[in-house]
Amino acid sequence: MVEMYTYIWLFVSYYVRPIYKWFLRKTTGLCELQRICYGAVSGAPRVRAVEKSLGASRSPQIAQLIAHLNNVSDNHRFVGQNGREIVSGAVSTVLLVKRINPRVHFQFVKSFGHCIQQIWGYRQLLADVESLRTTTYDPDNVEHERKLMLLWEALRPDEMLASRITKQWQDIGFQGDDPKTDFRGMGLLGLENLLFFASEYGNGPASHVLSHSLHPVHGYAFAIVGINLTSMAWQLLRDGHAKTYVYNTCKAVPSVRVFHQFYCYLFYEFDRHWLACRPKSMMEFSDIKTKFESNVKASLQDPNNVFSIRLADTV
Amino acid sequence: MGFLSVLRKMKQKEKEMRILILGLDNAGKTTILKRFNGEDIDTISPTLGFNIKTLEHRNFKLNMWDVGGQKSLRSYWRNYFECTDGLIWVVDSADRRRMQDCKNELHKLLLEERLAGATLLIFANKQDLPGACSAEELQEILELNLIKTHHWQIVWCSAVTGENLLKGIDWLINDIAVRIFTLD
Repeated sequence: MVEMYTYIWLFVSYYVRPIYKWFLRKTTGLCELQRICYGAVSGAPRVRAVEKSLGASRSPQIAQLIAHLNNVSDNHRFVGQNGREIVSGAVSTVLLVKRINPRVHFQFVKSFGHCIQQIWGYRQLLADVESLRTTTYDPDNVEHERKLMLLWEALRPDEMLASRITKQWQDIGFQGDDPKTDFRGMGLLGLENLLFFASEYGNGPASHVLSHSLHPVHGYAFAIVGINLTSMAWQLLRDGHAKTYVYNTCKAVPSVRVFHQFYCYLFYEFDRHWLACRPKSMMEFSDIKTKFESNVKASLQDPNNVFSIRLADTV
Repeated sequence: MGFLSVLRKMKQKEKEMRILILGLDNAGKTTILKRFNGEDIDTISPTLGFNIKTLEHRNFKLNMWDVGGQKSLRSYWRNYFECTDGLIWVVDSADRRRMQDCKNELHKLLLEERLAGATLLIFANKQDLPGACSAEELQEILELNLIKTHHWQIVWCSAVTGENLLKGIDWLINDIAVRIFTLD
């Protein structure tokens, strides 16, 4: 039965959709991309609709354009002047293929360009984040060590580290006396996220969250929880759930900074969720995290959600 | 027929085993579990709380419990002792600095009454790292020869390459099977 529905759906989308699109094109005088850019709410609803429409396109020129943009963003070349040129090139291609007059539809040019920037900016962000994640924390790397020290200073400004290897690391929630082994599969990304949270939101939310984590009953290991949340943020970015957040908060090409802000949002919300659950011990972490993750996914499912977060403002 | 033998009969039917994986933090417990289960091991974070996995191996149903090893979590290990058939103690063979800590925790564990019947497998993990102690060396350092209360065996392995994992787990399963499934 399910199979039959799938066939009907495939049939409809393959044969009926073009007819429907042709009909709308003839009656409105606008192509699907134009209808989206003029009709859909800006932010995630519009960008996602454009993304879907481009993906479903059967035009060979559009397919070629998509392959080119994928290549550019996977190789981190979607930046600065190059990025602007690529966006205007992509818009021109679509104008040509869809025979759109840019002087009449200047509004479309602007709005569609923004969508291109977001869609492939997201893809590039994924590549950037992945290269940070696959960089293993290396205690012989001066830069890595410097960042670790900055993390300590941001979280514990009034206390000196007695030595590089010390039990003091456990005060900010690392497992043992040397944090290097705790980064594991999240690599440098785990450290960068923690450092961003601690330094950008150090006076407000981060110190607030750190003080909660030190609660004698409902406390938790700040750094380790933070690394587990990096893992969650990375998975949400990879499976596309984070698109709602990125598309709704970014005005320019999404950068790693946006990912850090997304992470801070997760950390802050997790802290609230954890306290609300009143856990008896750290052993409840798996259950609470699973529940939290499904809550987050549900709120990311709503494309109109603007995440009016108290801490992450727009970039 | 007593309650225990009914329980044993039920277990026999399903051929189920409960295995507890313990060790210091960063020993590689989660990596061993994931590698054995054929999952991705490049994206692991430190374990907070525990992971449970049920997997089928050689017609046995293995309930594997992997509990976080950081110091503050060790006091919770006891909550998982009940009905344990096999204990896997994982050692980071390259972490020479914490060998005494590792030895003490292991011997403390073996005094537990609720673990009295369990078979003990010691994995000398991380053999792929330079400077890792060999299984023979570890046997000395951890004073394994003093263990008289449990069936035990030490097996070298590398969770990253997957080498020797199967050998260790097969020994563990065989030893448990002889004890609980062929007894009556």
